[in-house]
Amino acid sequence: MQYRPDATELLNDVAALLEDRVLAAVSGPLQHQVRVAANLVRIVEREVRLAQAATAAERDRLSPFVVTSGALADTSGALADARAQLADRLLGAGPIEPDELAGIHAAIVATLREDLAISKPGYDDWTGS
Amino acid sequence: MATIEDGLARWLTQRWGADVRVDGISESSAGARRRNVLFDAHVGDRTVGLVATILPTVEIQALDPVAEGAVRTVAEQGGVPVPHVHGATLDDSWVGGAFLVSDRIDGETIPRRVLRQAAALGHGDLVVAQLGDALARLHAIDPSLAPAGLTRPPDSAPVAAAIATVELGIESLLRPEPAFAYGLRWLRTHRPEEPARCTIVHNDARNGNLIVGPDGLRALLDWEGSRVGDPMEDLAWPQTRMWRFGADDRIVGGLGGVAPFRRGYEEAGGTWDDDRIRWWRVLSTLRWGLGLAGQAAAHLDGRFRSIVMAGSGRRVSELAYDAMMLIRP
Repeated sequence: MQYRPDATELLNDVAALLEDRVLAAVSGPLQHQVRVAANLVRIVEREVRLAQAATAAERDRLSPFVVTSGALADTSGALADARAQLADRLLGAGPIEPDELAGIHAAIVATLREDLAISKPGYDDWTGS
Repeated sequence: MATIEDGLARWLTQRWGADVRVDGISESSAGARRRNVLFDAHVGDRTVGLVATILPTVEIQALDPVAEGAVRTVAEQGGVPVPHVHGATLDDSWVGGAFLVSDRIDGETIPRRVLRQAAALGHGDLVVAQLGDALARLHAIDPSLAPAGLTRPPDSAPVAAAIATVELGIESLLRPEPAFAYGLRWLRTHRPEEPARCTIVHNDARNGNLIVGPDGLRALLDWEGSRVGDPMEDLAWPQTRMWRFGADDRIVGGLGGVAPFRRGYEEAGGTWDDDRIRWWRVLSTLRWGLGLAGQAAAHLDGRFRSIVMAGSGRRVSELAYDAMMLIRP
């Protein structure tokens, strides 16, 4: 158990330092790198807050489309297994009924929306092509 | 800069057979790896505004400046707006790298500035119609005129080659990954016939490689990636979301709609194929996502340590999302 500030508070502080102070103090290619670094710190801050729930939700979402093994107790191991199984099915030549394919598409999009909530909030506001 | 000035003056003097003086040198910000040096060449009492595009090292993936100059000249003869090429050389003793010299054309090239200008003048639909026109002219050129340096798809089968690229990328970078696997499955099940005719394609005719002025499209830049391929791929690429810079409702480069783009292409004699273009949009989007994953991999395995390349890895889901929106069941 760490004393405060907690992880998200620290990451916000580092991001603010990069954005408010460091960015103004550098120039040229380094400026772009600092901007990217600040954005990555913001991403990690959101990941710390959101990733655990997203991982559990993705595993549940994928379970109808794969053979679940009861042996995998931990969430991330079960998820990696489900992702691998589903990817193999999709890459294989075996037929997948249109209804199931639509369900798989919906599950993938739901997961991508949760990924984007971490890596680029707002990106999925656009739902056109 | 004195060396470049001197080198360009000596090279142009030799090339034009008249004394050339060079001044007014400045570097354009455009071009990440290529240096674009703007300058004035004085011959007698005449002054010509020129650009030297200099490549410190010739890359394997891209055309060398002599081949790029050749394809731009072929395009120009076909009526495609390009900055006229005055010559090119692989000899790096003149300015420290292989280079080509072409006319300097005024206008905006930086995407956000192009978008601002189009918003202010309301000529985005005109620009995309002109882009359609330019690409139709390019695709109409007899492909046997393509310079020898241009790559050609094996067995005239660009569709098969592109699928193989995506398969390889997924296998080496992203497996197991449901989104890209879904995308590849769609590409396979919707795979079009190989094109009846392969043509010269620009391969990067998107917002960012256009010179735009108040009168509209003035020139198509950056021909270093051009090759022989499916002309519909050339129409798909500028429509992909990554080149809209946030102006998502204007499908073609954030500038204009598909309808004027298509009209420009068809009025200049091009044959538009919606299904093929959609297929190439999906493929190009997934391939770009794999490219970003490749950048992250180069950072992670130490080939190219860079925070920017690291950040590319976290952009892969954007491309996966874009592809999924294109192929909703």
